[in-house]
Amino acid sequence: MNVPLEHALLLATAVFGIGLSCALIRRELLFVLLGVEIMLCAAGLALVAGSAAWRQPDGQVFWMLLLAIAAAEVAVGLSLLLHLHRRRRTGDVDELRSLRGE
Amino acid sequence: MEAALPLIPLLPLLGSALILLLGRRLPPAAPGLIATATVAASAAVCLALFPLSAGEGIRARLFVWIAAEGFAAPFGLLFDPLSAPMALMVTAVSALIHLYATGYMREDPSRVRFFVLFNLFVFAMLLIVLADNLAILFVGWEGVGFCSYALIGFWYREPKNAAAGQKAFLVTRVGDVFLLIAMLWLASDLGTLGIREINGAAPALPPDTATAIGVLLLLGAAGKSAQLPLMTWLPDAMAGPTPVSALIHAATMVTAGAYLLCRLNPLLLQSPAAAAAVAAIGALTALYAALSALFQREIKRVLAYSTMSQVGYMLLGAGLGAVGAALFHLIVHAFFKALLFMAAGCVIHLFGGENDITRMGGLKKTKRALFWLFVAGVLCLAGAPLTGGFFSKDAILLAALSRGGWFFALLFGLGIATALLTAVYSFRLLYLVFLGERRASPDAHPHSVPRAMTVPLWPLAALGLFGGLMNLPGGGLLDGWLLPLAAPPEPASHAAEWALAAAAALMVLAGWALAQRRYRGAAPAPETGAARAFRSGLFADELYQRALVRPFKAFSRFCRRVVDGRVIDGGLEGGARLLASSGGWLSRLSNGSVSRYRLALGLGLLGMLGWMMVSVLWP
Repeated sequence: MNVPLEHALLLATAVFGIGLSCALIRRELLFVLLGVEIMLCAAGLALVAGSAAWRQPDGQVFWMLLLAIAAAEVAVGLSLLLHLHRRRRTGDVDELRSLRGE
Repeated sequence: MEAALPLIPLLPLLGSALILLLGRRLPPAAPGLIATATVAASAAVCLALFPLSAGEGIRARLFVWIAAEGFAAPFGLLFDPLSAPMALMVTAVSALIHLYATGYMREDPSRVRFFVLFNLFVFAMLLIVLADNLAILFVGWEGVGFCSYALIGFWYREPKNAAAGQKAFLVTRVGDVFLLIAMLWLASDLGTLGIREINGAAPALPPDTATAIGVLLLLGAAGKSAQLPLMTWLPDAMAGPTPVSALIHAATMVTAGAYLLCRLNPLLLQSPAAAAAVAAIGALTALYAALSALFQREIKRVLAYSTMSQVGYMLLGAGLGAVGAALFHLIVHAFFKALLFMAAGCVIHLFGGENDITRMGGLKKTKRALFWLFVAGVLCLAGAPLTGGFFSKDAILLAALSRGGWFFALLFGLGIATALLTAVYSFRLLYLVFLGERRASPDAHPHSVPRAMTVPLWPLAALGLFGGLMNLPGGGLLDGWLLPLAAPPEPASHAAEWALAAAAALMVLAGWALAQRRYRGAAPAPETGAARAFRSGLFADELYQRALVRPFKAFSRFCRRVVDGRVIDGGLEGGARLLASSGGWLSRLSNGSVSRYRLALGLGLLGMLGWMMVSVLWP
């Protein structure tokens, strides 16, 4: 089976857009994190598709790396999120304003 | 023997250092004694080495001070027929004045500072005199300027004294700048600053350059020697202690300008115009200062103006190329002017610190010895026949007379008129201070005059009275001594010599008669407007105040208020305000809201993607 590169890229773009809108629109921090993960997946899809189309292994190697880093990032992100929920009883980004440093 | 030459300037320097380091730990009389002893030792070395200076003289190279490609200024000393008599005079007169100062400053709490500066001054002055090249000369030149500044303002708690010191420093600095320009010019044109080398190479200079350098040297000399137009500092310099006035502002430092012009006389004579300018400035200053001296009321100011006037004669001599006559007058003047100043210091002590000659008088009755010493000084200053002043002044006037031409005849006329005025004001001083009734206020307590203050006057009086023997008319010793350096004076006809001598004697008699008629016995009349004009030196101070000082101060205020206050401060503060306000505005963006941040992130991302797309699609 041979998927044309254009299709793969269109799919990646669509997934990226979904992830981006999720990260931008949702107020619950968990979903923001989810959106970021979806965007990472879209980028990975584009990398793998390119790698297959040009028969170069670089893209797939890159994807492996990305996967590992994303997993680590999710581990840290989720544990922060858990702590936040325990301490503040909320995950609403609009209520988390203490970054302002006041 | 020759190796001892550096000792002449180094001994006073050593004394200065010793007093500076140990002065406070030694008994109170020690600083004065050390200072006097080192200068006297220097004078002895000078005397011992004197025969070596004949002809070519001797040179000592201590080390190389400045060495560059094609230019070198070694630290060298030159002991030749011109510098040797000058050095001997400086050290001898300094030693006597140092002795006087030990008495004068006996009770001053700042004796240590005084003698450190006093000895340092002698060192700097000897550097000027013995310098082998102009760079060394300039070091001494600035050194004496600094010591003069510090000693005029010695009693600096009085703001007036400190201001006088500053004025002297600033006005002489103006002259120093011109001297420096002349030096740089000579260095770049001739490639050397050696005095002999410059004098030897002077004929190679283009005439215009020679004239310009001559005029620059004249301005430099005018600053140090208080000649027109840079003369205003000298009368104020009398704010210092009397030994300072005697040593620095009468006998030695103020004559440095005349000495410089003698030293570089072959260069100066390359340009007849510059030499004539020197002579004219000298003659004009002589007349101006004599007129001003006539109306002064403070004893030291009379002497200050008379110094200015006598240095004018020296410049006249130097401008005429009569180096022998100028040096002769310089040396004799140092003797009798130091005598007069030191005697004036005694007089001021005896009147309990009174300076005003209209409130003196009658001192002859109580202090006969001082009276006769003062008479000796006055006779020399007035140029009474057979005193040293008579011969030395005549030698200069004779040089002017025998030059011929209306210009020099005019200068001669100025000189002889000055001689008359000199006689009048000298005898005026004598009459007002020593004769007539005592006009001092009864509550003035005379200070005692220690022996150290009277002893040095005797040798000076003898030197002044008999100084004429150094250089009698018609082939004098000094002229013969200077033959290797300066052309002998043109032989004048005996008739002219006698006529001039008679005229000069007549001037002294006329001056005496005038002074006697006006000032004998009678209390001084209240001064008229003209007298006030002359007393203020023809408003020279006022003129400079209005023409230079006030505009400069106004300009400084403008700079402070507008340039500094508005432009610089305004610019900086405006810039700071701009940054602060823009920073405040930008800081509102970082409000800590995560959703705002992610929105910015998203928009930025879209922007970047859009930009990439555009650049891919339309490369």
